[in-house]
Amino acid sequence: MEENQIDIQNIPDDKPVIEFKGVSKTYPSGTHALDDVNIRINKGEFAFVVGSSGAGKSTFMKLIMREEKANTGTIMVNGFNLTKMRRKNIPKLRRTMGIVFQDFRLIPKMNVFDNVAFAMHVVGANKREIRKEVSKALSKVGLGEKARSMPTELSGGEQQRVGLARALVNSPDLIIADEPTGNVDPNMSYEIVSLLTEINKRGTTVLMVTHDHNLVRDFKHRVIMLDSGRIVADNLGGGEQ
Amino acid sequence: MKARSFRYLIGEGFKGAWANRLMSLASIGVLVACMVIIGLALLISQNISRALGKLEQQNVVMVYMKDYSWALYGDEVEKVSEGGDQNGILPDSYVIHNDEEAKALCDKIAALPNVESVEYISGEEGLQSVKKNMLEGQEQYFSFLDEEYGNPLSSAAKVIMKDMSGFNATIEQIKSIEGVQSIKAQDDLADRINSVKKGVLVAGIWIISILLVISLVVVSNTIRITMYSRKLEISIMKAVGATDAFVRIPFVVEGILIGILSAGIAEGLLYFCYRVATETISQTLGTTDIVKYSEMVFYLLGVFLVIGVLAGAIGSFIMIGKYLRREGSEFSAI
Repeated sequence: MEENQIDIQNIPDDKPVIEFKGVSKTYPSGTHALDDVNIRINKGEFAFVVGSSGAGKSTFMKLIMREEKANTGTIMVNGFNLTKMRRKNIPKLRRTMGIVFQDFRLIPKMNVFDNVAFAMHVVGANKREIRKEVSKALSKVGLGEKARSMPTELSGGEQQRVGLARALVNSPDLIIADEPTGNVDPNMSYEIVSLLTEINKRGTTVLMVTHDHNLVRDFKHRVIMLDSGRIVADNLGGGEQ
Repeated sequence: MKARSFRYLIGEGFKGAWANRLMSLASIGVLVACMVIIGLALLISQNISRALGKLEQQNVVMVYMKDYSWALYGDEVEKVSEGGDQNGILPDSYVIHNDEEAKALCDKIAALPNVESVEYISGEEGLQSVKKNMLEGQEQYFSFLDEEYGNPLSSAAKVIMKDMSGFNATIEQIKSIEGVQSIKAQDDLADRINSVKKGVLVAGIWIISILLVISLVVVSNTIRITMYSRKLEISIMKAVGATDAFVRIPFVVEGILIGILSAGIAEGLLYFCYRVATETISQTLGTTDIVKYSEMVFYLLGVFLVIGVLAGAIGSFIMIGKYLRREGSEFSAI
C-alpha cells in the first residue's frame, strides 16, 4: 500500500470517502472551473451534484477520478491523496470506484456479458470469478436474462443498466455517475436512480451528477449545488432547496 | 501483470489484427515491399562481395628477392675482381643464397596478418613459366637466356592478401623485410575493389535505414488508426483502472503479428523473385557463380523477422504511448 493511501475497508462510517480542502482549478486556457471548493462526502452517502452548464460539475468529477489535477488545495478520495498521486498509481485509485457514463459507453461488438466482464479482465480476474460476479451484477440490475444480447438490441434504459452492472462488478467503494439518466426516458430514470439507491443502501457511496430536478426532489438525498465554480448550496437533509 | 491477463491481452491483439484486417493487410503489403527490397539489397551486396572476392584472389602481388640473379643482372651490386666468383659477385652482396633462405623469406611474408597465402617461385620455375606463357614456339630465339647468360629472373613469392583495404600497409610491411628486392602489384585494381566495396556498403546502409524508417512509420500509422477505432474501449479500460501496459499490450501484439506475417510473405516472395532472376541471368550470361537463395534463406528470414518484430513492437509502442500521454487518460469526453 502506498504511503499516502489508507485502507478503504477501514474508513470509519463518519470518515470522508471524498474530501476537498480549498481546491481550485484553472485550465491552461484561463477558464476558472473551480474556486476554493471545500467539501466532505462520507462513506455510505448518496449525493447529487447539480448546477447549470459551466458551473464546474464536470471538473469536480474529473478531479475525483484524477482525470484532472487541482492547481491548489488537497483532494482525498478513497484514502488516496490525489494531490500527491503519481500517474502510474491512477489505475489503483480507479479500481476503487465504478463509473457510469451518460452515453453508456458499451462496446457494440461485445454482448452484455462481455461488456460487463471487460471491467473484470482489466483487474486480472479469473474466468470463474468473472462468470460468478458478472451474473451477480447483471441480476442486481435486472438483466440476468439478457446476458447474451447485443447492446443494440437493448433499450436506452437497459443499456444504462448494463453500464451500471459494469460499474458494480468489481465491488467498488464509490460509484461516480455522470448524468446517468441523461439519455433515458423519465420512467427509466427513476428506475436507474432507484437501483443506485439500492446499491447505496448496501454501503456503497454514490455521487451522481444530474440536471433532472424531479429526481433530486423525489429521492431525498444530499444535494451539492455548484455555480461558477463554487459550492453555493449543500443540503444534507435531501431534496432540492 | 498476471499471466491470465497477459494471455487475455495476447488474444485481444490477435482479435484486433483480425478485426482491422483490411488495414493490417495494407501495412503488411508495404512492409513486405520494404523487406523484399532490403532482402534484394542484401542478396545483391552478397553477390558483389563474392565477385570482388574472386577479383581479390586474382590480384596477385609478386615479391622479388635479392638473390644471385639480382646481384648479377642488376646495377645495385658492384662487381669486384678480387674475392668474388667468376662473375665478380661477393657472397655478402646479396641476401638470398639458396632455396632454404628464399623459403624462409616466404614464411616471413606469410606471417604478416593480412596475407592469405604465399607461393614460392624459384628463378628456374619463373623462367619456365615465362617461356611457356610468353615465348611458346619461339624458344630457339631465346635459348641464350639460360645457356649463354644464365637465368635473369630472381626468386619470387606470389602473395595473395586477405583484405584489399589493407593493401598499402601490407606492401610497406613486405618491403621492410630483409631480402625483398621489389614488388609488382596492381595498385589500381586494389583501389577500385576498395572503392566498390565502400560504395556497396554505404548504399546498402542507406537503403536499409530508409526502408527501416518507412517500415516503422507504416506500422505506427496502422496502429494509430486501430487505436482511434478502439478509442471507446481504451476510455472504458482507463475508467475501470487499466494500467498503461494493459492498454498497450494488445496493440503491440497486433504490431508484432503484422511484422511476423510480413516476414513470412517477404521470404516466400523474395525466394520466387530471386529464383526467376538468377535463372534468367545464368541462362543469359552463362554464369553459375551466383549466390544461391538456400545459402541465405535463414539469414534473410532472421533479418525479416527482426525488422518485422522490431517495427511492429516499436511502432505500436511509440504510437500508443503518445496517445496515452495526450488523450488516453481522458475518458469523460471521447
